[in-house]
Amino acid sequence: MDAEAVAVTDLVKRFGRFTAVDRISFSVRAGEIFGFLGPNGAGKSTTIRMLCGIITPTSGAGHVAGFDLFRGSERIKQSIGYMSQKFSLYPDLTPFENIRFYLGIYNVPPPDWPERIEWVFTMTRLSTVRDRPTRELPPGWRQRLALGCALLHRPRLLFLDEPTSGVDPITRRHFWDFIRQLTAQGVTVFVTTHYMDEARHCDRVVMINAGRIVAAGSPAEIVARVLPDRPQADLGDAFVALMQRGAP
Amino acid sequence: MTLRRIQAIARKEYYHLIRDFRSLYLAFIIPLLLILLFGYALSLDVEHVPTAVVDHDRTPESRDFILRLDASVYFDVVARPPSAAALTELLDRNRVILGVVIPPGWGAGLSADRVAPLQIVIDGSDPNTAGNTRAFITAFIARANEKNLLDYLNRQGREPVRPPVEGRFRVWFNEDLESRNFIVPGIIAVIIMIVGALLTSLVIAREYENGTMETIRSLPVRAGEFFLGKAIPYFFITLIDVLVAILMGQVLFGIVMKSSFWLMILASTVYILVALGTGLLISVKTRSQLVANQLAVLVTYLPSLLLSDFVFPQQNMPPVLQAVSKLVPATYYIDILNGLYLRSLSFGQLWPSFLMLALMAALIGALNIRALQREGL
Repeated sequence: MDAEAVAVTDLVKRFGRFTAVDRISFSVRAGEIFGFLGPNGAGKSTTIRMLCGIITPTSGAGHVAGFDLFRGSERIKQSIGYMSQKFSLYPDLTPFENIRFYLGIYNVPPPDWPERIEWVFTMTRLSTVRDRPTRELPPGWRQRLALGCALLHRPRLLFLDEPTSGVDPITRRHFWDFIRQLTAQGVTVFVTTHYMDEARHCDRVVMINAGRIVAAGSPAEIVARVLPDRPQADLGDAFVALMQRGAP
Repeated sequence: MTLRRIQAIARKEYYHLIRDFRSLYLAFIIPLLLILLFGYALSLDVEHVPTAVVDHDRTPESRDFILRLDASVYFDVVARPPSAAALTELLDRNRVILGVVIPPGWGAGLSADRVAPLQIVIDGSDPNTAGNTRAFITAFIARANEKNLLDYLNRQGREPVRPPVEGRFRVWFNEDLESRNFIVPGIIAVIIMIVGALLTSLVIAREYENGTMETIRSLPVRAGEFFLGKAIPYFFITLIDVLVAILMGQVLFGIVMKSSFWLMILASTVYILVALGTGLLISVKTRSQLVANQLAVLVTYLPSLLLSDFVFPQQNMPPVLQAVSKLVPATYYIDILNGLYLRSLSFGQLWPSFLMLALMAALIGALNIRALQREGL
C-alpha cells in the first residue's frame, strides 16, 4: 500500500435533491488513526459507506486501499475491514458460525481457518461462548465479535462507523487499546464518532457539518486554530465554536 | 463468482432455516396437510349420491326400481319420505341431493306399456355435482328403458332389435376417471409454490428487518453468489417435499407415475427454480416479511391453485383469464406432470412446456440479479 490509504477529492453524494456530502476532500496516511467527526446527520455514515464501496458517489474522485471508488468497489470490499454499530451479526448464529460465515465470504483459504478462528477467540476473549447464540451475548461482547469478524481476512485498512456508541466506558477503553495495537502492526484505522473526547485517540481528524468539512488537522492544531485564546479548551469546545460560527 | 462464498451463504441460510420453527413447520407440515386435505376432501368424483325416493305406487315394479337404484354405486337411497313435502324438507336440509317421486299407478302403467313418468328433483346448488348426478340418473333410466323395450319385444314374440347407434366408451389416460389421479400433480405444483415462494419471500426481507442487509452490502458478495446461496437450501427442502408428495401419492392413493421419474425430477427442478426466484424477487422488492408473504400468496400460490388447470379447467375460462393462465408457471408444470403421470408422454412430446418453464426460470433469475445489483451487491 502506498503512503495514502484513502484519498478523495470533491466527493459528492446526493439523495434526490438532498446533498448529504458536499464536495469533501481529504486523505488518510497509511498507519494512522484518522478520526471523522461530526454531529448526527452531518454525513459521516454516507461518507464511510462511499469509502467502503457500499454506495457509489454522485461525483468526485478517490481511491481506497489502492482501488478506484467508482470501478473497484468489489476489490475495496475485499481489502478492507468494516464494522458498524448499526449493523449486526446474525443473532441466531453462534459466534463460531458467524466467524465461519465471514471466513467463507472473505474467501480465506480453508487451511488458514483454524488459526484465524483461534486468533479471533483469543482476541475477543469469547471462547467460552463459542456455541451460544449470538443474541444472548451482551452488546459489548457482540461488538468485539463484530470487530474480530471484520479483521478475519487481515485487512490493512479498517473502517469503524460509530464503533463505541452505546458501549460502557471500560469497554471503550479496552477498545481503544486494541485499536492502538492494530496500528502498531501497521493497520490504518478510519473511525467516525460523535464523541469529541474520543478524538484524542486520533492522529488526525476531519470535522464535518451539514456535509462539509469545517476543520482538519491534528486535534491540538484544530483547538489552537479555532480557540487561540483558550489554552484549556478541548476539541469539544472547538467544535461548538465552529458550529456557532456557521459553515466556513 | 466463487464457490466458497456461495457455500458460506448457503450454510448460514441453512442455520436460519433449522433454527426457525415456523419455517420448518411451513416446509414440512403444510405439504403433508395439503396432500391429505386435497387428496381426501377435494374429490371431484360423484359417487354414492344421497337419494330419497317417495313411493306413491307401492307395487312390485316400483320396489324393484328402488332396489336397483340403491344397488348402483352412484346412488344411495338414504330416505323413503312419505310425501313430496317431506322430500322438499330433506332437500332443504341438505340431507339428499337427488329426489325421485314415483307416482301412483306407475307400475300399472309400465305393465300396460304406457308412458310411466317419474319425477326427478336435483339440488343444483353445486352445479358440478348436479350435472354429474343428472348424467348418472339419465343413464340409469335409459338402461331401464332399454330393458323394458327388450321385454316388450320378447312378449310380442318379435326379434329383439338392437339400438341403431351404440356408443362404446373407452376412457383414456385416467381409466378409472378418478379425480385424485389429476389432483396429485396439482397438489405437487401448489406445494412447490407454497414452500418455494412463501418461504423464500421471507429470507431477504428478514435481512432488511434485522439490519444485516447492510452487513451483506459491506462484504465482497456478488449478486449471483447471494442469490444462489439463498436459493440452495430451499431448493433441497422443496425437492424433498416433491419426493414426499410422490411417495404419499403412491402409498395413500395408489397413484403410480407411468413415465420417467427423472423427467419428473427435471421438470420439478426447473419449476422449483421459478418458485424460489419469484419468492426471492418479492423479498428484495418489498423488504418486509409481512408484505412479502402476503404478496407471495397473491402472485404465486393463488394463481397456481386457481388458474393452472388444477381446480378449474382452463377451457371454461374467459379469454382474458386464459391469456393470464399462460403466464402462470404452474400451468406448464401441471401439463408436464399430467403428461408423465397419466399419459406416459416422453420429452419429445412435452418439450414445449419444459422450454416455457426454463425461459421463466432464466427470466426470474436475471430479474433477481438486477434487483440485487441495484441494492448495492
